[in-house]
Amino acid sequence: MELEFMDVLVERDRFLIRGSGRFTPGTHLVSGRVGSGKTTLAMIAAGLGKPDRGSVRRQGIGSAMLSMQFPEQHLTGSTLESEIASWHLDPDPVLALAGLSGREKDDPFSLSRGELKRLHLACIFSHPFDLLILDEPFSALDCREKMATADRIGSIRAGITIIFTHENQHLPRVDHLWEIREGALVSLGGVPEALVGWKNKPAVLAELHKRGVYPKNLSTADILEAACRTHD
Amino acid sequence: MQDARLRLLTVIILSVASFMSVAGAVAAFFWWMIFTPGIRTITRSPFALFFLGFTASVSALIWFTGGDGISYLVRMAVILLLAFYAYSERAPGEFLDLAVWLFGRKLGFDTGLAAEMSLQGMEVLSDEIRRIRVAFQLKSLKPGFRSIIPAAGLLIHSQFARAEEQADLLAVRGYRGGGMVCPEFTRAKGDFPAFLSAILPLILAIMPVGDIFILLQ
Repeated sequence: MELEFMDVLVERDRFLIRGSGRFTPGTHLVSGRVGSGKTTLAMIAAGLGKPDRGSVRRQGIGSAMLSMQFPEQHLTGSTLESEIASWHLDPDPVLALAGLSGREKDDPFSLSRGELKRLHLACIFSHPFDLLILDEPFSALDCREKMATADRIGSIRAGITIIFTHENQHLPRVDHLWEIREGALVSLGGVPEALVGWKNKPAVLAELHKRGVYPKNLSTADILEAACRTHD
Repeated sequence: MQDARLRLLTVIILSVASFMSVAGAVAAFFWWMIFTPGIRTITRSPFALFFLGFTASVSALIWFTGGDGISYLVRMAVILLLAFYAYSERAPGEFLDLAVWLFGRKLGFDTGLAAEMSLQGMEVLSDEIRRIRVAFQLKSLKPGFRSIIPAAGLLIHSQFARAEEQADLLAVRGYRGGGMVCPEFTRAKGDFPAFLSAILPLILAIMPVGDIFILLQ
């Protein structure tokens, strides 16, 4: 199972993004600043966008899903029940997972964006996908939900999971790190080795780096473990 | 055509000419071919093919019921082409400038603001339709008759929500009706010749073609 970006290039007026690389089974984190081209790459990876040059090769991928940044972009149902049913899922367990039990008849637009994001992610995580692309999965969530979402992503064991995000506080355990630098997708390698070369790393990692300490991975537990290690 | 005032006047003249007679519509079509980017104005509008198809269907119905469907098709198709041209050429804020220039800072500002918001709403609507298509694709749902109702419901709901937010925003910014705008218009070299050329289809539409030849003799 593999997804490969083959000399992909997208150019729009002053915006340019290019990238090459292979996404193999495991969790990949693609980090980049706002406006760096993460959503463009996510759309291309999902087959919903076409690059101006180059191509995307998929091998052995049966089911694929893109979770878009704004949860309302996925809505096709007029009640929470019908929205969940549109994902071919049983409403009750999904509502329970999203913390919205008993609200099956509610209008999806009556939910806050955070609640809608929780519902959307609950639908996404209730399905196994060969390729799961998450575009800013932590947006609109509070700290507690960000941590829960990071844990859920970290617990995905099968398939290829690619997270495109600018989030730098609450992250899941990942296998491979990528960074978008000056319009180019750069593979930094496997984690934890890749953390050394992460240019725009989170502030907490940069601080630990100064002390010569590197966490084993990016989850909150890993960061805490590394931070406490400095007190030994 | 850069000057919004001349463009609006030209489109009105040509639309009237097209509506009045087939000869006027044919002449307006030639104007459209010469002075506009032509087919590109249709491809820029997501609804163009839908409206042209709808007009063709109505024309066929008129023709089958014994009416002059061909005349209707020619005249309405040219009017639609002019409308797509006007839509594709517009720039944000242009209607506000135009309305304030025409009707002043009270009525003009309110009319222009409403027009700008409506046009913005149309763009949002086409984005929303694209979004719903992607959502259907991602969920492996087949768009069909059953999906039209919830999809239309979502579109109406999002438009209402957007309207409410915009109204709140205007109120927060202190809008009570009317406003200050200093309209600015730029004119390209070819604007005036294009405007003058648009008068010919109107003459053709008003006067029978035979009379024009008599006058020329």
